[in-house]
Amino acid sequence: MELLITAITNAFSIEIILYTCLGVFLGVTVGAIPGLSGDMAIALLLPLVYKIAPGSSIGMLLGIYKGSMFGGSISAISFGVPGTAAAAATVEDGYAAKLAGHPNQALMTALYSSITGDVFSDLVLIFLSIPMASVALQFGPVEFFSLYVFSLMLISILTLGKISKGLASATIGLFIGAIGMDPLIGAPRYMFGINQLRSGIPMVPLLVGVFALPELIIQFAKEWEKIIARKMDEAVNRAAFLGYETSKDKMSFRIYLSTLKATMIGAGIGTFIGALPGAGSSLAAYISYGMAKKVSKQPENFGKGCLEGVAAPEAGNSATCGATFIPLFAFGIPGSATAALFGAALIMQGINPGPTMIAENTLIIYTLFVILIYANFINLGFGRALIPLYAKLSMIKSKFLVPAVFAIALLGTYASRNSMIDVWVVLIAGVLGILMRKNSFPPRTSRSGLHYRPGSGKILEASSPSRERGLDLSVKKPNCDPPISFLLGFYSVCLFYKPEKTYSHG
Amino acid sequence: MKKILVLLLLAGIALFVTAEGRKEAKKVEFPLEKPIRLVIPYAAGGGVDISARILSAVAPEILNQRIDVICMPGAGGQEGINFVLNQPSDGYTMLVTDYGPLITTALTEKVSYDLADWKPVFQITEVVPTFFVRSDSPIKTVDVWVKTLKEKPDSLSVAHGRYLSVPHLPLILFESIAGVKNVHVPTTGGSEALAYVLGKKVDIGASVPSTIASGIKAGDLTAIAVASSKRVPSLPNTPTLRETGYNVSLPAWYSILAYKGVPEDRLDFLHKKFTDAMNTSSAKSLAKQASVDITLFERPELQKIYDETIKNLREILKLIGKIK
Repeated sequence: MELLITAITNAFSIEIILYTCLGVFLGVTVGAIPGLSGDMAIALLLPLVYKIAPGSSIGMLLGIYKGSMFGGSISAISFGVPGTAAAAATVEDGYAAKLAGHPNQALMTALYSSITGDVFSDLVLIFLSIPMASVALQFGPVEFFSLYVFSLMLISILTLGKISKGLASATIGLFIGAIGMDPLIGAPRYMFGINQLRSGIPMVPLLVGVFALPELIIQFAKEWEKIIARKMDEAVNRAAFLGYETSKDKMSFRIYLSTLKATMIGAGIGTFIGALPGAGSSLAAYISYGMAKKVSKQPENFGKGCLEGVAAPEAGNSATCGATFIPLFAFGIPGSATAALFGAALIMQGINPGPTMIAENTLIIYTLFVILIYANFINLGFGRALIPLYAKLSMIKSKFLVPAVFAIALLGTYASRNSMIDVWVVLIAGVLGILMRKNSFPPRTSRSGLHYRPGSGKILEASSPSRERGLDLSVKKPNCDPPISFLLGFYSVCLFYKPEKTYSHG
Repeated sequence: MKKILVLLLLAGIALFVTAEGRKEAKKVEFPLEKPIRLVIPYAAGGGVDISARILSAVAPEILNQRIDVICMPGAGGQEGINFVLNQPSDGYTMLVTDYGPLITTALTEKVSYDLADWKPVFQITEVVPTFFVRSDSPIKTVDVWVKTLKEKPDSLSVAHGRYLSVPHLPLILFESIAGVKNVHVPTTGGSEALAYVLGKKVDIGASVPSTIASGIKAGDLTAIAVASSKRVPSLPNTPTLRETGYNVSLPAWYSILAYKGVPEDRLDFLHKKFTDAMNTSSAKSLAKQASVDITLFERPELQKIYDETIKNLREILKLIGKIK
C-alpha cells in the first residue's frame, strides 16, 4: 500500500507532469497531421529514454500515444482526412457533422468519448490485465479469422444502399491487402515484379490518398463550375468562413450523456480488441461504429453527422490505448507496433515486460499506472484548449482549405518513412478513391473496405495451417477452440437479418 | 567605369577561389563532419533496434559525434538497404541488421547489390534460435520431440517467426537431419509465436531468448534446445542441438555493415571506437538491462563469419528447394 502512495507522489513530480504535457502536445499535433502518426513520433523519441529519468520518458511517450489517438479525429472531423489510420471511421459522421455546421460539437464529442474510452481501458489494464490476457490468448489463427469475417460482414451491411456494393468494396480491400509477400511460402502476390511492394501497400498513405484526393478533386470541380458559371461583374465573396455561428455549435453535458451509450459500446469493444495481439485501433473503431449503429435508436442518422457516430469510433480507438498493454504486461507479448515500442522503451530501462514484471518493478509500474490515468486528463485539457481553434479553422472555405490539407498530408506521408513508395500510393489510391466515388460506391464502405488491409494478412495466415493439412479443417485440429469461432460465425450470419427493414433505400 | 567593374569581378572570383581552397585545406576529420547514421531495415522496437540503441547511447562520447538510429522497414527492409548503398561511401551511413533482409533475401530474390559488396564492421551481439514449449507440455526434451514425431508424423505444430526467418531456418535444418516433419505455423514474429504457444494453439515455438525471457523466468515456459555451438548464458539448463545429437548451429549476428567503397582505415577506426564503447561499464550495464549479450570479434573474424553465414544459408535454401 505504501508503495502505491510513493508511486503517486513520484508520479506527480513536476518533471514528469511537464514531460507528459509535452508528450500530449506533440501527440495531438502529430496525430492531427495526416500522414504522421503517434508511432512515428514515439520511435523518433526513443533515444530520449536513455537521456532522461525513467518516469519522465514513460510519461512523455504515453502522452504522445494518447494525444495522437485523439489528434487523428481533429483532422478527420475538420478536414475529412483521417489524421491517423485509427480515425478513419470518425470521418464518416465527423466530417458530415462539420459540413452541417457543428464541428465544435463533433470535436468535443470526440474528445470526451476518447477520454472516457481511454480511462476505461486503463482501468481494465490496471485491475484486470491477467484475466483479460488469458482470454486474449484464446484467440488463435482460426479465431482471428472468424473475427475478421465478422467485422467485414458488419461493415458491409452498414451500407445505405445495396449491400452488394458494400461487400464488393470489402472485397476490394481484401484484395489490396493481399498484395505483397505471402507469409506462408514467401511467394510474391500481385506484385507484378515491383519489388517495392514486398511489404504490401502501406496503410496510412492508402487512407490519406483515398480520403484526401477525391475531396480535392471534387472541390476543384465545384470551383471550376462556379468560375465558369460566374459572370464577370460579381463581387467576390471575401468572407473566408461559410456563415458559421459559434453560438449554435456549443457542446453541453446533455450532448455527452446522449452519446454515452455509443461511447461505452466503443469503450468495451475497443478494450477487448485492443487486448488481442494483432488486432488494432482502426479495427476497433470500425467495429464500434458498426455496433453502435446497430443498437442505436436512430440508425438512419448515422452518416449524416450523428454525434453517436463520432463518439463510438473515437471511444473505440482510444480504448485500445490502455488495452494494448495488456498482453505486453501480462506475458511480454507486444500486441501492436506501439506496444512493441513501449516494450523497447521498458527494456531499455531494464524492465522486462512479462509475468514477473510487476513483482520485480512494483514501484515504477505503479508510477506508470498513475501517469497512465492522469495523462488522460492532460489530454482532456489540451483538447479543450485547442478544439475551438480547430473548429474555426475547419470552417475556412474549401477552396483554400482542401489544397492546403492535401499538401500537408502529402508532406506528412513522406516525412513519416522517407519513402517515395508511400507518396505514389497516396496518388494512386486517390485515383482509386475518385473512381469509387464516381461509381457511387458509397464512400463510407469503400473506404472501410480498404481498411481490411491488415486483416487480410491475418486471414491468409489463419488459413495456412489448414492448408498444410489439406482438408483437415479447424474442427479437427486439436488446438482449436470451437466456441469462439462458431459464435462469431453465427452472429455474422445474424447480422444479415435486420437490414431489410432499416436500410431499404435501394 | 567598365575597367572598375572588370576589376571588381576579378577580385570577386579570386576571393571565391581562395575561400574554396581554404575549405579544401581545412578538411574535417572523420567522423566529425556530420552525425553517423545507422539504418535498420526493421520497424522500431525490435531486437536489432534495441541493440543498436545501446551502441548509439554509449558511443557518441568516445567518437565525439552523434549516432542516429533510423528505422526503414519498407519493402521488407530493402528500402533501408537501398538507402544505405545509395549514400556516398564516406563511412557516415551504415546498415545494422541480422542476416535476414540482407542475405536471405539476396539469395532468394533479385536485389540491387552483390553480397560481396557488404563488409562487416562491428558485431553488436548474437541471438540464438531457441525452441520452447509450455512447462506443462509432455515434450520435455528433443528426444521426446523426435520420438513423438516418428511415431505419429505431422502430429506436432511449431510456431516460428516469418517464413525463412532466423528461427525458421534452423527448424528446417533440424527436421532434415532428424528425418521428421512438423506442421509449420508462420507468424508475424516471435511475439505471435509466443502467444500461440501460451494459448495452447501450437505445441512448440521457435524464437530467440529475449522474447521468451520473462516467460522462462515465471516458469510458464521451458526451453528445450538452442541452435548454437555453446549454451546460452541466460539459459544454462538448455542443451544445444549438437549436444542432443543433431548438428544444427545457426546463430544470428546483429552487425554493422558498410557498403563497398568506404576507406578501410575509416572502417578500422569505427571498429576500434565501437569496441571501446561496448567495453565501458555503462554499455555493459545497459546491455545487461536489455538482456543483450555483447559479443566482440576482430574484423577479420567478422569477415569469416559473414562468409560462412552466406555459405550455410545457401546450403539450407538449396535443401528446401528455394534455390538451385
